[in-house]
Amino acid sequence: MDRSWTSRRHRQRRWATAAIGLILAGALSGCGLTIPADPDGTLDSVSGGELRVGTSPDGDLVEVTRGDPTGTVVDLVDAFADSIDAEPTWTVASEETLVRMLEAGDLDLVAGGITPDTPWIDKAGVTRGYPGIEGADGRELVMLVPLGENAFLSKLESFLDAEVGS
Amino acid sequence: MTETKQFGRTTLPSEQEQAIKKAVRWEVFTIVYTSITIAVIALVVGESQAMRTAWIEDMLSLIPQIAFLTALLFVRRRPTKKHPYGLHRAMGVGHLVAGVALLAVGLNLAIEAVTGLIAGEHPTIGTVQLFGQTIWLGWLMVAVMAVVIVGPVFLYGPAKSKLAPVLHNKLLYADADMAKADWQTTVASIVGVLGVGVGVWWLDGAAALFIALGIIWDGFRNTRTAIVDLMDQRARTYDSKNPHPLARDIVSYLRSRPWVADAGVRMRDQGQVFHVEAFVVPHRSKVSVEDIDAAAAGIADIDWKMQDVVVMPVGDLPDEADTGR
Repeated sequence: MDRSWTSRRHRQRRWATAAIGLILAGALSGCGLTIPADPDGTLDSVSGGELRVGTSPDGDLVEVTRGDPTGTVVDLVDAFADSIDAEPTWTVASEETLVRMLEAGDLDLVAGGITPDTPWIDKAGVTRGYPGIEGADGRELVMLVPLGENAFLSKLESFLDAEVGS
Repeated sequence: MTETKQFGRTTLPSEQEQAIKKAVRWEVFTIVYTSITIAVIALVVGESQAMRTAWIEDMLSLIPQIAFLTALLFVRRRPTKKHPYGLHRAMGVGHLVAGVALLAVGLNLAIEAVTGLIAGEHPTIGTVQLFGQTIWLGWLMVAVMAVVIVGPVFLYGPAKSKLAPVLHNKLLYADADMAKADWQTTVASIVGVLGVGVGVWWLDGAAALFIALGIIWDGFRNTRTAIVDLMDQRARTYDSKNPHPLARDIVSYLRSRPWVADAGVRMRDQGQVFHVEAFVVPHRSKVSVEDIDAAAAGIADIDWKMQDVVVMPVGDLPDEADTGR
């Protein structure tokens, strides 16, 4: 009885290991899957294409006069777009409108004077806070991406780590 | 706990005494281990529903240990006029509290998981910076879950499940059982996180639901076991699977007395010890007080769990009495 119990446990453990192994193998080898991946393929569609960015005016971070916005955050996003061969197109609107567009899939990224205390945590994926952005007056700033687009989020965070990381 | 051998009406045999000491040590170890686990998972829990559910399960898993240690303070006390049966029910009350807590939180988590799935909430798991490297937080989640599983499955789970039968402690048994089943939670949360990793967003919610259902099942089982014992069902074994064999031992002991024609017993589980009402039909209508006292003492000598023994001479056995047949 004792033996059958141990062997059952062994079998269970083997199953568990096998299941994890299968997922790992499936993920890392064929299918061209990468971890993390985007369920809606944001990173794939913006790379080498159009990066739809939303922003709201905020001091030196984002200045909107004529044409495309300017400012330190805008420069940062432009550099990120550059790093993935994307062409940024800008939408200037209130934060709520931008988050709604992000939810609806009409935007890929929202950047501006948004801090880690943002109330949009349930509506958007939020990057880590970055303290090193010029003109932020010591605030940590975050950017918003569509919920669950983890490859895109990770790409963005890696870029920000390298550019303005602590 | 100065009088460590004191256990309600009697003192414990040394085997049980040792087992209790070990159980207390394992419970304290579990609380420390689980507290560290909770703190470590808090660092990586992120937005994953599966991780959050596993995390809350870890918090819930503290309740049985706290209930056990608290109840132990009470069950050791001698019976008094105010509490003539001692305070053994404290263990059952602790068991019930643990069961209801699991049930309530489990239901809550299951609803959360289902609404998340229906709303199509895509879990967002970003990166962290660790030693100058940017790595995906999911990898850390998987690593943490794989490491913390060692305690419940390989250390304190098996240790407690060895002690539970010695002490006839259902709370300890349930606690050990849940600890040993903890690998399911770990595997589910890892599958959920890796699912998110490969872009299958709903695997996270599905894993959370699986874990929540496990918590509900634990809660249901514990609540049921605790309630039926508090409702004075006939005493059963520590795993509640069979009627306790001591009932039969008592009856056959009584039948072996020369003055006894027939015997039956009503035995209820007060937590770790039994309350025994033994009914005897004597051959003759006159019974000596010495015989009754000797029979009661004889029953109490069969096992340490027989704390509260009443022997009652009757003309006919009550219908519901266990006659061991």
